Amino acid sequence: MEFFQDLVTTLNFILQGLWVTIGVTVVALTIGLLFGVVTAMLRVYGNAFLKQIATVYSVIVRAVPVIVIIFILYFVIARFVNLSPFWAGSLALGFASGAYQTEIFRGAFQSVPPGQMVAARAIGMSQMQAIQSIILPQAARLALPGWGNEATLVLKDSTLVFVVGVPEILRRAQQVSARTLEPFVAYAAALLLYLALTLLTTQILQWLERRYRLQM
Amino acid sequence: MKKLGLLISVLAMLLLALSACTTVPQASTPAPGGEAATSGEAAASGEAAASGETAAAGGKLAEIKAAGKIVVGTSADYAPYESIDENGNFVGFDMDLIRAVGEKLGVEVEIVDMPFDSLIAAVQQGKIDAVIAAMQATAERDQQVDFTIPYRMTKDAFVAAGDSTLVIEQPEDAAGYRIGAQTGTVQEGWIQKNLVETGLTPADQVFSYERADQAALDVASGRIDLLLMDAEPSIALAEETGLKILLITELTAEGGKSIAIPDGATDLKAELDRIIQELIDDGTVLKIQEANGLP
Repeated sequence: MEFFQDLVTTLNFILQGLWVTIGVTVVALTIGLLFGVVTAMLRVYGNAFLKQIATVYSVIVRAVPVIVIIFILYFVIARFVNLSPFWAGSLALGFASGAYQTEIFRGAFQSVPPGQMVAARAIGMSQMQAIQSIILPQAARLALPGWGNEATLVLKDSTLVFVVGVPEILRRAQQVSARTLEPFVAYAAALLLYLALTLLTTQILQWLERRYRLQM
Repeated sequence: MKKLGLLISVLAMLLLALSACTTVPQASTPAPGGEAATSGEAAASGEAAASGETAAAGGKLAEIKAAGKIVVGTSADYAPYESIDENGNFVGFDMDLIRAVGEKLGVEVEIVDMPFDSLIAAVQQGKIDAVIAAMQATAERDQQVDFTIPYRMTKDAFVAAGDSTLVIEQPEDAAGYRIGAQTGTVQEGWIQKNLVETGLTPADQVFSYERADQAALDVASGRIDLLLMDAEPSIALAEETGLKILLITELTAEGGKSIAIPDGATDLKAELDRIIQELIDDGTVLKIQEANGLP
């Protein structure tokens, strides 16, 4: 019984970090989505120069641990632009996620049969128009399952923003553990919250997938 | 050829990134202020974004006074020095002390929780004005930031078995007994320098251990007579393993815990040194130490 009481008290304390975690995840996913879609487009349809830039971004960022990117963005770039830890951490996480999302969307773009682009151009659409109204809607549907996976990864990577002082769920659990010397209760509470968040995310994405599935 | 081109671009970008990193300290410009600082998001204040170099021009103290608050970083997972209670307040020896310092300084104290490893970088980059985190002013850290005078000296404890009849009134009384310490620690260094090199204790009577709790087990079993270790963890350890503490002393320790501030912030250092000395002299530090159950 005492265990459950401790767990409830701990949950109450850690819950204050819940909104931080959700905020970081939503901002990072949005930024990552923008970066991902644009760079994937450049990688597939861009000219040689743009293709090179997009590839370098995707290769380098995926080769570097996310925590290093967060650290560098906060301490080096934030010297010139005054960012709060929350924004610096979320933007860095989004910048990193963008590289992974690039690959998700590149795969999706390439899965749309090339004939569609040829056909769209043949009826007089510009390349931009063709991407916008023919390729992107189909690619988005194909990208959804992979993107859902990335969303849960970013949710869990949000634990990394504490390196610049953003008190999210895991840090709050560490604070409880340091105070009570009962790491099990503290981390069990964090586990429950992450589990709830991940299940919720998965449900939403499944609903989206059902909603946009091709009706045969 | 395509691979080569990619490789070259990658290297070029890395070089750019690296050169950006190394030139930053010279090319610093104070960022514009106006950042809303909420304690929950641990935001760095706009004023704090000004770099250590501008502080060297003599502005750090004035900057803090103008802002009406000092932003202090800590790593709130080291009770009884710094931790967070169930209501989310920062508590502990360091926290009480920095609030007393803030009172004397006439400014508000905003405490920011960060990982210990990030603290030095944060104060270097001006994200925070100072660090109080039970931090010792080591030579390596001193190259990166400045330190105030120590506000609390490190203390060591001589620990013996619960039924030991040894009497240790000063560190040198340990001469001749079988003594243990943790490998590579300041305490081991003290034993070598003051007991072995002076011929007071034969070298084969000195034992070194990977961890303090292993040494404690050997003390309990009578394999060694004494253990020299950090005083603070020794209290809990002695209680757990049924040992007794014979002496707690500053004499064997080197240095103490200091507040870290940006490199070259001489005005801030002078003011903080004065305040810390005042707090030590008027007994405030002693009171805070007792309130937090420290030896």
